[in-house]
Amino acid sequence: MTELMHTPLFGLTLTLLAYQCAMWAYTRSGKMAMLHPTISGAVLIAIALKALQLDYFAYYQDINWLNFLLGPATVALAVPLYRQLPLLRELAGPLLVTLFFGATFACASALLLAWWLGATQETLLSLMTKSITTPIAITVTEEIGGITSVAVGSVILTGVAGITTISWLFERLNIRDDRLWGFCLGLAAHAIGTSRAFERSPVAGAFASLALCLTGAFTALFVPLAVSWFA
Amino acid sequence: MLAGFLTLFACQLAGEWLQRVLGLPLPGQVLGMFLLFILLCVRGALRDDAVPEGLSQGSQRLIELLPMLLMAPAAGVFFLGAGFADQWPGFIAAVSVGTVLTMIACGLLLKMLTRGRKQGHD
Repeated sequence: MTELMHTPLFGLTLTLLAYQCAMWAYTRSGKMAMLHPTISGAVLIAIALKALQLDYFAYYQDINWLNFLLGPATVALAVPLYRQLPLLRELAGPLLVTLFFGATFACASALLLAWWLGATQETLLSLMTKSITTPIAITVTEEIGGITSVAVGSVILTGVAGITTISWLFERLNIRDDRLWGFCLGLAAHAIGTSRAFERSPVAGAFASLALCLTGAFTALFVPLAVSWFA
Repeated sequence: MLAGFLTLFACQLAGEWLQRVLGLPLPGQVLGMFLLFILLCVRGALRDDAVPEGLSQGSQRLIELLPMLLMAPAAGVFFLGAGFADQWPGFIAAVSVGTVLTMIACGLLLKMLTRGRKQGHD
């Protein structure tokens, strides 16, 4: 009987079940940031694996083909980006300056803080992609030799840190323009920030998607090059 | 929708091919994203601004699946083992303090750069 637990079918059923439960809890809680399905679903999977005494890496192998879909999903991000083109033209200059500065700042601040607190080189490499959307972060992290799980964890927790603090922060900074609000959240907190921005207004959501795509593209270009120069 | 998947897969394949031929340090799927973006811009300039129906549906479906696709890799954070124990302080500081600082810096910079322009249509 137990050999059934080591099949892709079991792994996929477990994944979908965890997703459904996570989605239910997230919707029921009124979309509480801490219960985002990627976080709560991951916790449920971890609990299930521990309870059933299954090996995480074996499970990951079983559902590996799901990761294949991350490829076309990354390509698909070109569609929302294309739809934001007219919005981008309107504020192109300031947005691009902020993008270059912000994406570099996100990366550098993470590296400095972690290095100061004694992180190893492998951890540092896995933190470089924390502010970009996960499918791009995974491929870039694999490219530069970081740990995928750490990279994904840092991306998710970055998103949580972003959406739980932005309202309070930007109220204090007196920033109420939805375009600025959305762009900064999308830049720092990628897809999780973007879905939060859509809850504020369609304009905030559009600017967040724009920042999400641009930060992802810029970081994907810049990080592997920077690593190959300095490492 | 399958026509949309065909476009997405073909763009990714072209991206992977470019990456190998040119020896670029960028992932093939990211190149595929740029290729699709350029294709859409060219198509928009020549014929029709709207994204084809199949591609629109296909990409929407895949983007909606993202939270589910990301769960299994994210669960790996709980299985990093004892070797990662001393890395947590740096990790937590980078994702929390680093992210808050990034949003403050970007917000102030963008506010300064857009000063004097008209307010957002909200």
